[in-house]
Amino acid sequence: MAATFFGEVVRTPCRAGTEDEEEEEEGRRETPEDREVRRQLARKREVRLFRRQTKTMLEVSLLEKHPCSKFIIAIGNNAVAFLSSFVMNSGTWEEVGCAKLWNEWCRTTDTAHLSPTEAFCVFYHLKSNPSVFGSCPRRNMQVTILTCRHVTDYKTSESTSSLHTPFLKALKTQNFKEPPFCSLLEQPNIVHDLPAAVLSYCQVWRIPAILYLCYTDVMKLDLITVEAFKPVLSSRSLKCLVKNIPQSTEILKKLMTTNEIQSNIYT
Amino acid sequence: MASRYDRAITVFSPDGHLFQVEYAQEAVKKGSTAVGIRGTNIVVLGVEKKSVAKLQDERTVRKICALDDHVCMAFAGLTADARVVINKARVECQSHKLTVEDPVTVEYITRFIATLKQKYTQSNGRRPFGISALIVGFDDDGIPRLYQTDPSGTYHAWKANAIGRSAKTVREFLEKNYTEDAIAHDNEAIKLAIRALLEVVQSGGKNIELAIIRRNQPLKMFSAKEIELQVNEIEKEKEEAEKKKSKKTT
Repeated sequence: MAATFFGEVVRTPCRAGTEDEEEEEEGRRETPEDREVRRQLARKREVRLFRRQTKTMLEVSLLEKHPCSKFIIAIGNNAVAFLSSFVMNSGTWEEVGCAKLWNEWCRTTDTAHLSPTEAFCVFYHLKSNPSVFGSCPRRNMQVTILTCRHVTDYKTSESTSSLHTPFLKALKTQNFKEPPFCSLLEQPNIVHDLPAAVLSYCQVWRIPAILYLCYTDVMKLDLITVEAFKPVLSSRSLKCLVKNIPQSTEILKKLMTTNEIQSNIYT
Repeated sequence: MASRYDRAITVFSPDGHLFQVEYAQEAVKKGSTAVGIRGTNIVVLGVEKKSVAKLQDERTVRKICALDDHVCMAFAGLTADARVVINKARVECQSHKLTVEDPVTVEYITRFIATLKQKYTQSNGRRPFGISALIVGFDDDGIPRLYQTDPSGTYHAWKANAIGRSAKTVREFLEKNYTEDAIAHDNEAIKLAIRALLEVVQSGGKNIELAIIRRNQPLKMFSAKEIELQVNEIEKEKEEAEKKKSKKTT
């Protein structure tokens, strides 16, 4: 029932429910002060959409103002580096807005003045190809999500030493008909956080969407991890947007050198 | 399950894992790549140099260290842990020489380092060393040796091996390209080490450091110019090989 190391008593979780539920509830019961603090924090949470150049607030629905047929979202520094060097390098992309948020887990204490440099998410649209943001109804929109995860989160019955990291796995909604460029994510692996939220939203609203998840052993910005996303460049969404691959590789290398964080812990 | 059995080094999980040791092996993968090759008459150690900050003195950021005149090692992982292990190994080398009046064999000093690492996987209140090491040198009998140790305290002799980030890619390259011909000549062994590193090093020859030991000769560290020369030769050979290929296809 309980394991001890250094005299510590550890309660093992039980799926059938604990016998001591009543005792635990007493300890966990919220005081009115706790509830008030929680309410105040909830009021302070906010998500704001800005136009960075003019610092004006945008109307809530960005997609209604700029309806689009292809929506690509990159989450995590490697996915963002891939998108900036390979996709946004070709053609002129115009920033249409950025989203900033504050909740009690953010490190900034100043809620009233979110500075422009702390954008959580920046939205761009392709200037030269307005049909990418044409007046098509939402139904015809296709969503591509790119993200990374550490390979130690990958559960497999194979030996982990035989895995060739980094590798891509895909997860798609029911309405997405194109074949993915890598194998699908097997059970019991799951997707977490924002990519999962976006994919679930697309599944519920029947929007064709595909998530490409790169399992890597280097979570910081790394050339080999970013290049693992290259098969995605042949997809219908991205093929027309990518023009100059050798130039993109050069841009990526520059991005690496400017972003190198000096850490002397590991040599 | 891992979260209940991974906080203490002295606790096995029900399926026999020592999670702290396995996590230490992850720490090794955070270090830059090091490759070791055992030739017929030479041993080579190549490492990917980390880029040094502008105001930092380059000499203090070394991945290849001499343990004695005839033994040297390269490591990957936590810098501070490596410093402690190297200091202990150096003291042991001298102590051995004074006691037994013979220099250590490569196997002896490797076993010493591995035993030290193993002790830290069985001690209460201590964590394992987060480094893997490649130890090379020549014994008195003139035979070249290459050993690899890891945080669990195991050590093995290798013909060629790599540790650190992207070690798997480098090892696969070595498995394909390590032949008796390739290592028969010293220069070929050196080129093999550089070619293996170029597979994974992000900015080419500028970020490679190389050290060799030849039979009955002390450790030699290659200068940046010498490495550049080797890299240029390798690139020329590549181009010629590609030209030959394209001629064959046309």
